[in-house]
Amino acid sequence: MIIDVHAHWGPWFFTMDVAEANLATMDRYGIDLAIVSATEAVIYDAPAGNRALARLLEGQDRLLGYVTVNPRRLREAARDLDAYLPTGRFVGVKIHTDYTGSPVTSPQLREALALVAEAGCPALVHTWGASVLDLAQVCLDTPGLRVIAGHMGADGFRHAIEAAAGCDRLYLEPCWSHAPAGRIAEVAAAVDGHRLLFGTDATLIDPSSAFGAVAAAGLSAEAAERVAWRNAAGLFGI
Amino acid sequence: MTTKDGTGTAFDAWRLIGGLEVTLDVDVLVGAYPDRDGPPGLPDEVLRTLARHRIRAGAAASLRAALFDVRSGNDEALALRALRAEGSTFVPVGAVDLRDPIRAARELERLAAAGVRAVRLFPEEQGVEAGFPSVRHVARRATDLDLTVLTGGDVRRFWRPFAGIGARVVFLDTHFYHLGDFLVVAADEPGFHTSTRLLNSPDALEAAAAEVGADRLLYGSRAPHFEPLVPLLRLATGGLKPDEVAAVAGGNAGRLLS
Repeated sequence: MIIDVHAHWGPWFFTMDVAEANLATMDRYGIDLAIVSATEAVIYDAPAGNRALARLLEGQDRLLGYVTVNPRRLREAARDLDAYLPTGRFVGVKIHTDYTGSPVTSPQLREALALVAEAGCPALVHTWGASVLDLAQVCLDTPGLRVIAGHMGADGFRHAIEAAAGCDRLYLEPCWSHAPAGRIAEVAAAVDGHRLLFGTDATLIDPSSAFGAVAAAGLSAEAAERVAWRNAAGLFGI
Repeated sequence: MTTKDGTGTAFDAWRLIGGLEVTLDVDVLVGAYPDRDGPPGLPDEVLRTLARHRIRAGAAASLRAALFDVRSGNDEALALRALRAEGSTFVPVGAVDLRDPIRAARELERLAAAGVRAVRLFPEEQGVEAGFPSVRHVARRATDLDLTVLTGGDVRRFWRPFAGIGARVVFLDTHFYHLGDFLVVAADEPGFHTSTRLLNSPDALEAAAAEVGADRLLYGSRAPHFEPLVPLLRLATGGLKPDEVAAVAGGNAGRLLS
């Protein structure tokens, strides 16, 4: 059993064709359930992408959705949270800091996460480098907020260890197209095992990247089960 | 003997990799980076890492040569020929310092005379840009000596000094974000190849095989500094045909380096 907490649905602007990739790539790696955001919502138009994703989710049972929030459009965000979270097909919020020009330190990101806390669901936030430390601080400053540090800082994974140590409502998700030796093992050895999740960034990145990196860490059966699905099931209530 | 992963857990990579073996990995290093954490890159340990991943030979260059002293580093690489462990071996690859193109050209001649078939370039580590005259100079000298060039750097820039001279090149850092740029230049340059290490989108290998042929793809791990399991899994679980998988897993590298 695997739950992928960082996945996407929709086309990308790179040289790739991922139209049929969701279920096919999930099957290849034994991923039973993926929580996806619409690429259109992440990259360009959040309401339009959320709307399209809502239609998709009505027709299948292996994908759940993130409501994507653009921190520069908080009224639209509030409207979408009200519309989609009650359907039960959306279980969290996705915020990409780069595509929206909203770094973790920006006031609009802080306001967006306050909105998420009010909605009561977890937020997956793109982090890179030391920004994961900023995310931990925002989380500490926002009562009730639960955040997933997407990519767990990528090359800033040691900052992610520090961030997780300082905030018990911050979860780490490992996907990255690079796989430096020992990255996952080092994080798994240092972080509370209940706050490690599995994510792939599919369909942008093939699941082999995160799957192989986690496999290389040689987690114990108990730790692997927590990473694979148990922590995600608890966090999202699924 | 294979590396221990989450065998028996949800993350059982070897179940997915099956019987795939790599006969020649094009991207292996001995030595350590002084500016980053990571393994010391001791040759015996690197060889055991390859063996645990069923990589039977690794085209290995010396970080000592790349970062400090070309000649003694390359001598270290040449000595790797004698090592064996658990059924795996090294194929030595030379290195030059692009910050000194005059001595680099002399070193290329020494390497070729010693039977080395490939030279590896480290432009990022040496702070050298694709437009620097030294890169063009080394590209031409290596091609004249019939050496295959393994190069780091962003393919969108590092294709240029190798274009139009009949060079045989493997771009080691091609990221799937830049696959389109590689494909359009490779269509014009039959000697252009790429490592699969960062071709991690769901259809990158398949798209490359369809556009320019699987004979342009070479398995590269950058062991011991990166996890060999990731490109292994990508290759084993993708949509390439068995003969194409075998070519990527070392057949193509053997043609270029052995």
